[in-house]
Amino acid sequence: MSVALGIDLGTTNSVAAIATPTGVEFILGPRGERVHPSVVAFPASGGVVVGPDAKRYRLTEPHHVIHSAKRFIGQNIRAPMVQLAMTGVRYRIEEGPNQQPIVVVRDRRMTMPEISSNVLLHLKRCAERQLGTPIKDAVVTVPANFTDGQRQATKEAGRLAGLDVMRLINEPTAAALAYGFGRDRQQLICVFDFGGGTFDVSLLRLNGEVFEVLASEGDFFLGGDDLDRALGEVLASECNRILRVDPRQNAAMMMKLMMGAEAIKIHLSENDAAEGEIDGLDMPGAAGGRLPFQITRKQFEELIAGYVNRTIEVTKQILISTGIDVTQVSDILCVGGSTRIPLVRQRLAETFRKEVNTKINPDEVVAQGAAIQAGSLVGNLHSGSGMGARDAVATAGHSMLGAAGNVVLPAHQAKRPVLMDVNPATLAIHTAGGFTERLLDKNAPIPIERTRVFTTSRDNQTRVENRRYVENEPLGTLVLENLPAKPRGDLQIEVSFRVDSDGILHVRAADQTSGAQQEAHLEVFGAPTAATEQ
Amino acid sequence: MSVRSEVLLWAQRVVARGTGTPAHVLLEIKIDSSVEDAQDAFHKIARTGHPDLHRASLTAEEIELVTTAYARVAGAYQEFRQKNMQTMRMRPLKDDPPPPRKTPSSDRIAALRPQSKTPEGMAPINRSGTLPGVGVPAAGSPSPSSSAPGAPGPMNSKALIYYRKAEMCLRQGDLKTAVLNMKMAIAGDPQSTFLRTALAEIESELAKK
Repeated sequence: MSVALGIDLGTTNSVAAIATPTGVEFILGPRGERVHPSVVAFPASGGVVVGPDAKRYRLTEPHHVIHSAKRFIGQNIRAPMVQLAMTGVRYRIEEGPNQQPIVVVRDRRMTMPEISSNVLLHLKRCAERQLGTPIKDAVVTVPANFTDGQRQATKEAGRLAGLDVMRLINEPTAAALAYGFGRDRQQLICVFDFGGGTFDVSLLRLNGEVFEVLASEGDFFLGGDDLDRALGEVLASECNRILRVDPRQNAAMMMKLMMGAEAIKIHLSENDAAEGEIDGLDMPGAAGGRLPFQITRKQFEELIAGYVNRTIEVTKQILISTGIDVTQVSDILCVGGSTRIPLVRQRLAETFRKEVNTKINPDEVVAQGAAIQAGSLVGNLHSGSGMGARDAVATAGHSMLGAAGNVVLPAHQAKRPVLMDVNPATLAIHTAGGFTERLLDKNAPIPIERTRVFTTSRDNQTRVENRRYVENEPLGTLVLENLPAKPRGDLQIEVSFRVDSDGILHVRAADQTSGAQQEAHLEVFGAPTAATEQ
Repeated sequence: MSVRSEVLLWAQRVVARGTGTPAHVLLEIKIDSSVEDAQDAFHKIARTGHPDLHRASLTAEEIELVTTAYARVAGAYQEFRQKNMQTMRMRPLKDDPPPPRKTPSSDRIAALRPQSKTPEGMAPINRSGTLPGVGVPAAGSPSPSSSAPGAPGPMNSKALIYYRKAEMCLRQGDLKTAVLNMKMAIAGDPQSTFLRTALAEIESELAKK
C-alpha cells in the first residue's frame, strides 16, 4: 500500500508526518528533530544545506541563507507588502520574468518554488530514510488566504522536489481535521493560526465526518517574524545607544540581534522578564562586542500590542461576517508558535469569553491533519483501521521523542473525513465598459464551478480579453482567442470558472451555438511561466 | 448497487442537466426551502459525492466527472445561499414600521445599548431581516407614539455590515468609530434615511460628551 506524506510547509519551520494504522507518525530529521527549519543555505564550500544545519550559516554567511521563502512564493514582486518584506531579509531578490521574485545567490538565479523545493526534498529524503520506501504522494498545507498564484507556486515546488502534490489544504482546516477526526463531534470551532509568517483565523462546523469551513480570514504578512523584528529594532537602537554602533548597516550583526530577539520572545512566554547579554557581535574594528539587555514581559507586550490587536480585529470581523455569536463557538484551537505568547491567549480568551484549548501542540497539529488527509486520499484510512484522533492529547511536555505516547485509539470506527474547504478570495471579472461582476464568492465551498456567457463588443472581433481580480488585486487576464468573426453580440461563449480542491482557478470556454471548445487561457501575474522553469 | 456505480450515476445525472440548471434542482430540494435545508442537502450530497472519497476507487476520468458534478452542486449551493441571504435581508417587515422621525432623539441609541434585551455580544440576523434589539422596542426604553423605534429596513449587504459594526462600537461605547462606520454604511446605501437619522443621533450624542 502506498504511503503519502502530509507536509506543513511553514514560513520558519516545516513538519512532515504520515498516517499509520495506529496513529500519526512524525518524520524525524537527521538529529531526531520533529520540527525542521525551512531554511536553505548555499555555503561557500558548495552544495545546498537544509534544516538545522542551514540555520547555523545565518551568522557566517547571512547573504547566502534563504529563510522565510514562503513570504515571497508566488508573489508579485511589485506588491507593496512584498517590497516591505524584502527589507527584512539579507539575501538578494530581483525581479524576474512575469514580475516574480528571483533569489540571487552565488551567481545562481533561483525562483521561489525552487528554494522551497529544497525544503520539501529534504523532508522527502528524511521520510524515505525513516520508512524505507520511496515516497511519491504528498498533501501540502498552505495558509487559508494564499492566493491562486501562491498555491500554484507551492504545487510547483512540490513537483520540483519529485512529489506528486495530491492536494493543497488550508492550514486551519488541517488543524481542525486533526482535532475532530474520528471523534464524531458536533460543534462549531474557531481555529486561530498565528505562525511564523502568516496569520489565519477560520470558523468550522464539525458535523461527524463532515468538516465544513464556514469562513476564513487572515493577514498574509503578519507573524512571529514581525514580532521578532519589532523587538530586534529595539535591540538595535539599544546597541546604537550603548555601543555607539549602528547595527542596521551590518547584516551579520543585525541577524545576531534578530536571533537574540527570537530567543528573548520565546523566553518571555514562560517568564516575566528576560535579562542577559547578547555576545559575539561582530562590530567593525572590535570583534566580540556584548550588548546587555533587560526586558520585562510587560514591555514586550506593549511592543507587540498593535500586531496582536490586528489579529483580534480579524477574528471579530469573521464573527460579524458569518453572523455567529461567540457563545456558539465551543472550542478555540491555537495553532502556530506565536499563539504561545500569553498576551495572544489572554486576548483570545477575552474575545470568546472562554479559555482557549491549550492541549494541542501548536507546531505539529497542522502536519497531523495533512497526514490524515493524505492517508484518506490514497485510501489508507479505512473505517475501523484504528486510525483516529490522537492529536489533541499529544502535548505531554511536547516531547521530542516517544511518538507512541500520543496515540489514542478512537472508541469507535473512524469514517473517512469529508473536507469542505473554502474559496480563499472573491473572484470578480472586469469587462468592457468598466463593469465588474462577482463570479465566485470568498468562503464558498470548493471545488466549485460557475459559468458565465460572454459575447463580443465589436463586429468581427476575434479576441476577448478580461482582467480578473481577486480582492481588488489584479489576478491576471483571461484571453479568448481565434473566435469566429461574427456581428457583435452574436457570439455566445460560455466560460466556466472552476476553483478546484486546491483552491486553484481553472477556466474553460465553449461556443454555445456550435458547442465547439474555445481556447481560453489565464495569464496570471507572478506565476511561474514556461520560460522561467528552464 | 455498489457505492461506486451509485455515485457515477448521480454525477452523470448532474452533469447531464447542463449549466443553466436552477440551484434547487441540483441540490434536490424545493424551490422555497430554507438555507438550512440547502445546507443539509449539500452535506448529504457531500457525504457520498465528494470526489476525495472516491479518489482511490475510480479512474481519472470518472473522478473528473464526479468532481465536475460536485463542483456544480457547490456552485448551486453558493447561488442558493446568496439569493436567500439577499431576500432575507431585503424583504421588508410584514407590518411595516413607520419611517424614522426626522428629529434626532436618543431613544434609538438607547435601544442599541446593552440594556436592551439583545443577547450579549453580536446580534445574529433573524429571519425577518431586522436586527434584534433594533426592530423591536427595547425593554424599558420609551416607546414613542405606538411605533417601534425604527427598523433598519431594507439595506444592502455592504451597508448592513457597517451598520452592524457601528452597532458593536456603540455597545462598547466607542462613539467615534461608530460614526465612521455609520458613514461607511451610508456610503453603501446613500438613500437610507434610517442610517442618516441614526448617524445624526450618534453625532449629537458625541457632541454632548
